[in-house]
Amino acid sequence: MSETLSQLGKYAEEAGTKVTSLRKNESTVEVSQDRLKAFLAHLVNDVHVRHLMTITGLDLGQTLAVIYNFSLERDTIHVRTLVPKAKPVAASICDIVPGAVLYEMELHDMFGIEFVGNPLKDQKLLPPEEWPADLPPPLLKTTKADQIRRRLGLEAAKP
Amino acid sequence: MSTPPNQQRREESAGLMEYSTESLVPFGPIHPALKEPEYFKLVLEGERIVKVIPRIGYVHRGLEKAAESRPWVQNMYMFERTCGICSFVHSLCYGQAVEELTLYQVPRRAKYIRTIIAEMERIHSHLLWVGLMGHWAGFDTLFMWVWNDREVVLDLVEAISGNRVHKSMNAFCGVRRDMPENMEDRIVERMKFLTDRARYYRDVIDTEETMLKRTENIGRVSADTAEKLCAVGPMARYVGLKRDVRLNDPYAAYDEVPLDVITTTQGDVHALLRLRLDELVASANMVTYAVKNLPDGPIRVKIPPIIPAGEHSSHCEAPRGEIFYFVKSSGGRTPERVKSRQPTMANLPTALELLKGQTLADIPVVLTAIDPCFGCMDRMSFYDTETNRSWTWSGEELRQYGINYYFPERSKKQHGLTKGDGPLTNRCLRDGF
Amino acid sequence: MPVKKTGAAVPEMFRFMLEKPSTEAYPFKSIQLPQRFRGKLDIDPAKCTGCQVCSLVCPASVITMVDLGTRKVGDRELKIRRPLFDLSTCIFCGECVDNCAFNALELTKQFETATPNKADLLMNKAIVK
Repeated sequence: MSETLSQLGKYAEEAGTKVTSLRKNESTVEVSQDRLKAFLAHLVNDVHVRHLMTITGLDLGQTLAVIYNFSLERDTIHVRTLVPKAKPVAASICDIVPGAVLYEMELHDMFGIEFVGNPLKDQKLLPPEEWPADLPPPLLKTTKADQIRRRLGLEAAKP
Repeated sequence: MSTPPNQQRREESAGLMEYSTESLVPFGPIHPALKEPEYFKLVLEGERIVKVIPRIGYVHRGLEKAAESRPWVQNMYMFERTCGICSFVHSLCYGQAVEELTLYQVPRRAKYIRTIIAEMERIHSHLLWVGLMGHWAGFDTLFMWVWNDREVVLDLVEAISGNRVHKSMNAFCGVRRDMPENMEDRIVERMKFLTDRARYYRDVIDTEETMLKRTENIGRVSADTAEKLCAVGPMARYVGLKRDVRLNDPYAAYDEVPLDVITTTQGDVHALLRLRLDELVASANMVTYAVKNLPDGPIRVKIPPIIPAGEHSSHCEAPRGEIFYFVKSSGGRTPERVKSRQPTMANLPTALELLKGQTLADIPVVLTAIDPCFGCMDRMSFYDTETNRSWTWSGEELRQYGINYYFPERSKKQHGLTKGDGPLTNRCLRDGF
Repeated sequence: MPVKKTGAAVPEMFRFMLEKPSTEAYPFKSIQLPQRFRGKLDIDPAKCTGCQVCSLVCPASVITMVDLGTRKVGDRELKIRRPLFDLSTCIFCGECVDNCAFNALELTKQFETATPNKADLLMNKAIVK
């Protein structure tokens, strides 16, 4: 295991979790919402993993997963946290990693997750102006492509 | 019960100032195709830009949602059409993310062919960009000559893959077509030609006074800001960060082909021009090496259409920066989730930081310098804080404004405008906004 | 330190004036296409057996299989199917060509396929007897 990952393992233990190696050079850590920011602060400031590639959202049925994809040299580190679908509120990491603003806004538009602390969280970015307010966020499994097309008034494409 | 327009604007402006912090910029995600509309709101004080508020998503095609209902191989063709200029790297990155979920290895010859095509695509993209810089700076002759030389690399790509833009060369665990017979000498000769031309263009941009005036000391951002905002590609390398996926995390044949990563600390748009032209020469050398040392063997391993369950991500170095793909499979014929992040989205916060403090005339050059994978400003909407007036300009009007601003002798004859005496107001009055 | 000057590109301009133009003289002269050029799709009806693999792999939903009746083989009734191509959505990827086990499909060098009549792009060679 590289030095980065062993340091990471130490901070993961503090956060009450452990680093799982998926395959060579790729590992994942699952952290709960309340310990997330402390863990990420260690990751960025102490282990010097500075480059956030993107933030990915996943629809897992009852919960939504928010995966922060970090990269340092050859290692890819996924930091995973779960957010309940009934109350999709998460803490923003823009004070630790300023480059995360857009990614969090994208997750807000696509999955409906609200990031508390994002300076631009009230601005709608991706959906067009005529997006109906009661149409659920597009990338959830329960929202069907046909539903979106019909509500936006687009004709159905060839199947 | 609506507030009168003037008061509304002041309230809006006050709200904007409230949001203003040092390294955070308001923006939005996904930028798919080549030329597309985007909408910027610039807050100006005189000639200087104080804040940029863009509004994008006009060509958002819902690719991530569409990928969930299509078989794996069909998605490769769909993601290839995310972008015209970096189409091969998109299909490569997606392919690599999926290949790791299977247990098959990519043959060595396929890795070399992938490297050759990816580097040819980089050469094509950088030539296109140098031409566009010439166009937006007013140097249309450079634009025409560079795009003429671009035909050389496009002809090579067409001879290998059958199409100039969407190469369709990638397959899972391999490439679809082998290199044609007797191509080696032709490729080596063409790469030498392109190297000589790149060196000539570098000479031109280093000595030509008009280009230097338009590009020197413009578009500066500190290395610390670029790192915090997670800049990728040439936008990170031109301030001295050695960020290149081919070096940091080699994929395809980059661990065997000698790689030359170029960084500079000069930090302005002129440095970007030199950087991309040097990268072009480095890519041409890589193609020459790879073609001469192409190993024998199979080019493809056929895999079944069902991909085992799991999650994997992959990143590649596109001409514009780092592309990232995340793939989740639940063991079926279609993916469960595909996430694709293009480099322009990663570079947008840095780009907006670049714009702060620039003059209005420099906007075309600075926005093209980030090499956006969207069109350079089809429509720009302006708001003057002093006079509370807002108006819209097309891209061509902005480009003409930039040329007139820098070369007022020419513009004096045409419009009677001089540099620095409030050309904005003059133009407003003249055109009746 | 490079010397700044204006007109650094002027000598090159003379070279271009003396060379022949870079513009292709199409449509007045025919274009040289490389051997691997991917143009309009063509099918050889004699080789097609109706296995429908092409319609399953097409990314752009170009191919639909049309029922043309049945035939008896021993004591079984087998369906006869043949493909109908709607080439207006074809993306020229060549997946159908690569996957056809009977080499019935080919991407020709024809690229002048623009037409005001969409029905011209419906290829039914395999169906029409």
